[in-house]
Amino acid sequence: MSLTITIANRFSNSPLGNGSAAGILSVIGMGVGCFALIISLAVMNGFESLVNLKLKGFDGDLRISGNVDGLNSDKIEQFEGVMSVMPYIERRGLINDKKDYRVVSLKAVDMKKFDDFYFLTLRGISSENMILIGQDLAYRLRKDIGDEIEISSPLDQSFGLGFPPKKKLKIGGVFTTRILDYDDRYVFIPLDVGKSLFKRKSSLDGFDLRLNDDQDVSSWKKNHRLSLADEITIQTWEDLNRSLVDAMQLERLGAIVILSLIFLVAAFNLAATISLISILKMKETGILQIMGAPSDLVRGVLLTMGLRKGIKGALSGLIVGVAIVMVQSATGFIPIPEDIYIINSLPMTLYTSDVITITFIAMIFIFASSWIASQKIVRISPNDALQWVK
Amino acid sequence: MILQASNINKSFTNGASKLMVLENLSFGLEKVEIVTIMGQSGAGKSTLLNILGTLDFPDTGSLVINGHDVEKLNENELCTLRNRELGFVFQFHHLLPEFTALENILMPNWISSQDSKIAHAHDLLNKVDLMERKDHYPNQLSGGERSRVAVLRAIINEPSIILADEPTGNLDEKNAGKLIDLFIEINKDFGQSIVLTTHNPDIASIGDQKLILDDGQLRTYK
Repeated sequence: MSLTITIANRFSNSPLGNGSAAGILSVIGMGVGCFALIISLAVMNGFESLVNLKLKGFDGDLRISGNVDGLNSDKIEQFEGVMSVMPYIERRGLINDKKDYRVVSLKAVDMKKFDDFYFLTLRGISSENMILIGQDLAYRLRKDIGDEIEISSPLDQSFGLGFPPKKKLKIGGVFTTRILDYDDRYVFIPLDVGKSLFKRKSSLDGFDLRLNDDQDVSSWKKNHRLSLADEITIQTWEDLNRSLVDAMQLERLGAIVILSLIFLVAAFNLAATISLISILKMKETGILQIMGAPSDLVRGVLLTMGLRKGIKGALSGLIVGVAIVMVQSATGFIPIPEDIYIINSLPMTLYTSDVITITFIAMIFIFASSWIASQKIVRISPNDALQWVK
Repeated sequence: MILQASNINKSFTNGASKLMVLENLSFGLEKVEIVTIMGQSGAGKSTLLNILGTLDFPDTGSLVINGHDVEKLNENELCTLRNRELGFVFQFHHLLPEFTALENILMPNWISSQDSKIAHAHDLLNKVDLMERKDHYPNQLSGGERSRVAVLRAIINEPSIILADEPTGNLDEKNAGKLIDLFIEINKDFGQSIVLTTHNPDIASIGDQKLILDDGQLRTYK
């Protein structure tokens, strides 16, 4: 064991070496900072995972769009790693029940594959001659399963006089996503209905793809980019929801920065404690300097004491935080209202990178505060230090 | 000459007033020499010893220890000089309360990172009849024992010079006598030079050079 650590150990164990109540508070402060950051990030990750899962459940993992005339579902399913393919045509259109009109996105899809492809909460059934609407839209239109409703595509209206193409269909099911305004905006219609309704579209808009679980979406996109024609675009679910994904990442970064302020306050507390210990142990450090101890040794002793207190606190917060995340993930003991969040327990997910980031932030604050506090004492001459009266 | 202080001036200022403590003071210390310095309280004995021990710096003047011009040394070199060439003994023992007697004695050796001198420390403890007290902490030792431990700490690295600032000031006559005998023994056995300040003329009589500090100047005491 090095002399620095030996002296720091002895000083820490002496009655004047731990800074008493201030020392305990600084340890608690670091612990609270670490705990708050772990729990907050875990909850944000949990909700982010939930949103991502829902986005992927609605859009699939990837979208192939553009000039897809040369492609079909069977051909795409031959690509490595593809689990299922959903052809689609999408158009802004109207949905109305005589009294009320609403502008919606009409998404024509293969209803036979609907249940297998989309991971949605669906009340009712998907059928080849029925439509599926979101629960908010159903509420606004005061419609439910089995009710008949009219859809039309004004963009496909013939030149000159005439009405836009219309179709009356029964509502086969009501889906719930709780993502942005999806439940108010999207209407799924059978692909054949879409083809007949969207008269100005001569082909499919593209294909939504769902990959096998072991496939990395970004790698798949990169690997298959060259094998497809230039006029074909491949977008991951993140590309499709870029603004939302970016907003969530920004929110996460903001949370880290704001919660790091807890560390900053704890770091001030730790610096104050180390300064207090410096004063209480000034005479002893003076004795060491008189015996020839260089300032690096004296600084190292106080730095070690500060680091030890800070690390003790941060580690406690980290362990408690990680333990709570693990228990919550396994048992879901913290409930949340299911009717609001769809899930019944607080989602918590912690990544190794988060733990490393938090540890790194904590270490920076602990080291900086200990260093600043320890700098003070090495500026005092050994003679002055020796004459210090406690 | 193992230590040479030349034309040392030292003053302390307090607001507008300036107190001259050492004035154009010169002093030399030969190898294996004991120098005792007497002087009234406030005469500047501790200030002089602090300057000779590189714990304080003169306003003007030079100090050469074992060929090293102190003014030209950087902080780390000064630390090494204090650790290897100088041993300090104070009136109040100034032992580290968190360390045992043996650990306190070995501390300068640990700081120097030289080979362990634990066997030498045991020998020294035996010499002063403190072997049985080696694992005791300073608060478990008597005043006399603490002073002897402080002396052993000062000599563990076998420095050329020992600076003792009124080492007997806090001891009864019997323990003071024991401590002075120890200094004489150290001087004879290990050949270390000693600069010792005291109020006591009997103790001052052990000096090869007997000096008195008065009006910032050193004079020979008869």
